[in-house]
Amino acid sequence: MESIIAYGIALLAAPLFPGFILKVKAFFAGKKGPPLLIKYYTVLKLFRKGSVYSTSTSFVFRMGPTVSFVTAAMALLFVPIAGASPVLSFHGDVIVLFYLFGLGRFFTVIAALDTASPFEGMGAAREVYFATLAEATTFSILVIFFRLNGALSFGEFFAGTNPITVWGGAGALLLLVIVSLFMVLLTENSRVPVDDPATHLELTMIHEVMILDHSGPDLALIELGAFFKLLFYAAFITCIVQPLQFTSPWLHALLFFGIMGLIYVAVGITESITARLKMNLVPKFILTSFALVFFAAILTTRVVS
Amino acid sequence: MDTYLFSLVVILVGGILPLFTYKKFTVMKAACVIITAIGSFTGLYAALSFLIHPVENAVISWPWLHHFEIALQMDAMAAFFLIPIFFICPLATLYSFHYMHHEKQSGKTAISYFFSAVLFVSMALLTTANNMLTFALAWEIMSLSSFFLVVFDFRNKETRKAGYLYFIFAQAGALFLFAAFAVIYSQTGTLSFDSISAMPENMKLIAFVLAFMGLGSKAGVFPLHIWLPHAHPAAPSPVSAVMSGVMIKMGIFGIIRFYMLLAPAGEIYGQIILVAGMISGILGVVYALGVHDIKRLLAYSSVENIGIILLGLGLGMLGVATGNSTMAAFGFAGGLLHVFNHSIFKSLLFMGAGSVIHKAGTGKINELGGLMKTMPVTGKTFLVGAVSISGLPPFNGFVSEFLIYYGAFYGLAHGSSFLLPMLTIISLAVIGGLAASCFTKLVGVAFLGEPRTENAAKASECGIAMRISMVVLALSCIVVGVFPEPFVHIVFRVVSGLPIAATVSPTVFIDLVRNISLVAVLFLGILGITMLLRKGLYSGKPMAKGPTWGCGFTQPTVRMQYTGTSYAMSIVGFFRPFIHSENVYSGIQKIFPGKTTYKTKVSDRAESAILETVVKPVFWVLDKLRWIQHGEIQLYIAYIVLAIVILLLAQ
Amino acid sequence: MIHLTDVILSITILSVLLTLGSNRLMALVKIIALQGVLVSLTPLFMEHHDKLTGGILFLTPITVAIKGLVIPAFLFFAVKKASIRREIEPIISYHASLFAGLAMILVSAFIVDRLPLNLPGSHALLLITGITTLAAGLLLMMGRRKGITQVIGYLMLENGIYLIGTALAREVHTLHVLEFGILLDLLAGVMIMGIILTNINRAFDDMDTSLLMRLKD
Repeated sequence: MESIIAYGIALLAAPLFPGFILKVKAFFAGKKGPPLLIKYYTVLKLFRKGSVYSTSTSFVFRMGPTVSFVTAAMALLFVPIAGASPVLSFHGDVIVLFYLFGLGRFFTVIAALDTASPFEGMGAAREVYFATLAEATTFSILVIFFRLNGALSFGEFFAGTNPITVWGGAGALLLLVIVSLFMVLLTENSRVPVDDPATHLELTMIHEVMILDHSGPDLALIELGAFFKLLFYAAFITCIVQPLQFTSPWLHALLFFGIMGLIYVAVGITESITARLKMNLVPKFILTSFALVFFAAILTTRVVS
Repeated sequence: MDTYLFSLVVILVGGILPLFTYKKFTVMKAACVIITAIGSFTGLYAALSFLIHPVENAVISWPWLHHFEIALQMDAMAAFFLIPIFFICPLATLYSFHYMHHEKQSGKTAISYFFSAVLFVSMALLTTANNMLTFALAWEIMSLSSFFLVVFDFRNKETRKAGYLYFIFAQAGALFLFAAFAVIYSQTGTLSFDSISAMPENMKLIAFVLAFMGLGSKAGVFPLHIWLPHAHPAAPSPVSAVMSGVMIKMGIFGIIRFYMLLAPAGEIYGQIILVAGMISGILGVVYALGVHDIKRLLAYSSVENIGIILLGLGLGMLGVATGNSTMAAFGFAGGLLHVFNHSIFKSLLFMGAGSVIHKAGTGKINELGGLMKTMPVTGKTFLVGAVSISGLPPFNGFVSEFLIYYGAFYGLAHGSSFLLPMLTIISLAVIGGLAASCFTKLVGVAFLGEPRTENAAKASECGIAMRISMVVLALSCIVVGVFPEPFVHIVFRVVSGLPIAATVSPTVFIDLVRNISLVAVLFLGILGITMLLRKGLYSGKPMAKGPTWGCGFTQPTVRMQYTGTSYAMSIVGFFRPFIHSENVYSGIQKIFPGKTTYKTKVSDRAESAILETVVKPVFWVLDKLRWIQHGEIQLYIAYIVLAIVILLLAQ
Repeated sequence: MIHLTDVILSITILSVLLTLGSNRLMALVKIIALQGVLVSLTPLFMEHHDKLTGGILFLTPITVAIKGLVIPAFLFFAVKKASIRREIEPIISYHASLFAGLAMILVSAFIVDRLPLNLPGSHALLLITGITTLAAGLLLMMGRRKGITQVIGYLMLENGIYLIGTALAREVHTLHVLEFGILLDLLAGVMIMGIILTNINRAFDDMDTSLLMRLKD
């Protein structure tokens, strides 16, 4: 029961946190910024609208948003949110989880190609390229976690006698993991310096250009899916850095969401102080994250033995 | 065993009958389809009933040419490999009912049905072969009959070239295989399979490597794969479906069979297979991204999937060598299940490709587009196949990849063999990502968007027989993906033949597979609910139609669409050292530019390397020997006499 | 608890990978400064140095100052004065360099495994980091076109040697004296380089070492 409540809270809170990013960015720009709840308003507004469909599209275009929403929502089922045990957990669920994201991406991409627009094709090509590289990092992280803890499930990573936490014996390695996980977060969720969600030139977009033709509730589903995905990666990092285990679930949840908020603030700061990379330098950025975890993985041979 | 032999006879009858009835085109096709189906279902029943209730000593043999013995034996592994044979082959025959539609080519069609039946039977015999002679015989019949099927369209020069290439590779592969047999025979002194495991270890390695070269060239392991992308586009689609879905798996079957017979001890076997798997897997899919002919692309994707299968088998072998039972069991199980899964979705995709080529007249994806609207059944089944082959849940490709991942993760636990399992996991992840890119390209460019040419716009849905085959295969993809338990059960029954794997408790994988099934069902459930909610959200709302937003450009043309080439360009560029892509760009010279052209062509590194290192030296040597071939008949007779004299004296 | 040495070494490796991947000259100089500080701090945190002798306490700040401040400052001004373009101009592409970096880590881990040394726990890691830094320095010298990147590569090479020395030396004091000598040499080298670079710049308007080929016969 506790897990389901935590899951529900996470789903409901997902649109809140991106508001933090906007606030931080506004602060750096010396502006007041939109209200914290802006994303809720946007989603509700979109839900109330109708849609325009291109005559080029087929049923694939209509399926894309739904699939990406469902996969992102399902991925959160496996995450131990705020210390509660995950709703769904079994040995090997991490593989399922990242492949679910893959499924969501597959449908987003073919929905983009369905519009026959050259720009959306371009965005799709970039998305699959960068995602492939990021996948190598992600699975290397799983390798490290398995070496450290012997678990293959998201819940077990952070539970039991030998949990994965940056405050434990292998903390130094996990610092590398956190850095590269943050880089993956930026890549997978199309944030600066990989992609700029606020840009206005279609030629330079990655994710935004793929969803140009979606409107109304479909677009709302895509947005919600994106919030869930960002929340997932933020929760992933939070689980690693969470320093204390309170006995009171409320205190624990407070700390958890507090740290998560800080991660969003960190995203906001990154977005404010860095410029986006040239498109041909993005692979290098992702490869750096891969190099870090690869090194950490090699070091696990020592830490474990 | 008797049921099994009966089924083979029936299939063979189904193949011989058309030779006599080819005057009545439709009757011939219908008869062949029905008889093949009956034979195959009997065979499928025989294989499944053997797997459920194994019979001890299902052996049969009869003497041949006084000295030799043809021996067949049914065991769990053979029965497992019989399933795809008896499942795919009748569907391919059914598919060809509407695919072979030229009544003028009735005679040719009859011959192709005959060779198909011979191919099916020889593959079945190969799986049950119980000595080296039977194995070699079935192997050769398989290679030859498939060669005749490839050159169906022999009037076309390209087809003949592809056929010759295939023939050379098949025979060179057989040469290596026979060399392996020779090594084994020199050690054991018998053609039987029984005493192979008694060979000394170093000889085992030589025999294994030789056999791997021979079997690997049939399976399409990376540097030996180059016949695949030539033969598949040349062959008719049902033939490609059988060859890629089933026949190349016979190479995999041979590798497992020989590994088990040799029962070697070292870690080197697993390491060889793993490295070969990584190379095939990654480069296969990179080349698949680089080519833009639908059947060539699928051929390269077969190379990739063979790589994934090898990764599973390699983990299994490594697990056996290091005593890691979980890795061994899950590696082998994942590899074998992927054999089965790949046979389903690859046949499905080749059939889809066949329908497209049939109706749109071209297989170049950059000339297609928008087929989802004009060919809905082909499009949807193709989409299912594409998602499955990308290894995504809730379809079947995911289940087998999951098992391989699981085995690889458990391989990490052992310190000594840490690196290879880790690289396996990373390669699987990269292969997964690249495969998704490759098949989003294929589906997105060929089936979605707007038609790029007149032909593509005029395409219409294919015949009912073709549609039925594709729908059956697509449904199988979903069934295996959502309810994998019985299939995984069968696979583990095969794997439990290995002594080490028997120590893994069946509850481990049953729990695991039930969980995957749960996730798949849950996913479909939530998807269904969300779709209903979405429908609710849209009820009573305005739904407008309009052109695609062209980012302010008001005169879009279909030629503006992203092509497959541009879609794949940056990824192919990333792998530049391993894939050669040649770009020719005329450039813009004047202020008001005239016609500009841009051409890009990807050529296979392995092909050029083999050309440089093998073909050219061989040609050079043969060139020097040209004087023997002078054209004077009298001297040729002298050669014969000389040869006989030498042979007589040597005795 | 986290071992501070592990953290420092991890960040050192991070800096090595960043140098291989960075495409801006100024960023490279900053990273090299950070790396210099980290490397010179390492001996303080080694396990068996229970007693911090006066020698270490005296030499470490100076090493930090030279590696972290003086040399980077020189480089900084060299870049500024010579108005070198900011792009790094790789001969070996960034992707290939990163993969090479990974290979180096693997190979150095392999070498350390094979060496018949009896090292305490974190010293092995120190040795791996050292060898990787050294090799990456060499790669940087080979794989980049600009003269100044070669100097930076040389600095990394020296950092690597310093780490290897720390890992292997039993007598820390002697090591420091030796190391200090090398450092002074290096300092002199960097100064000379600065002067030469400015002169080359005046002569060629560019810092591309391939232009030096014109000087042959």
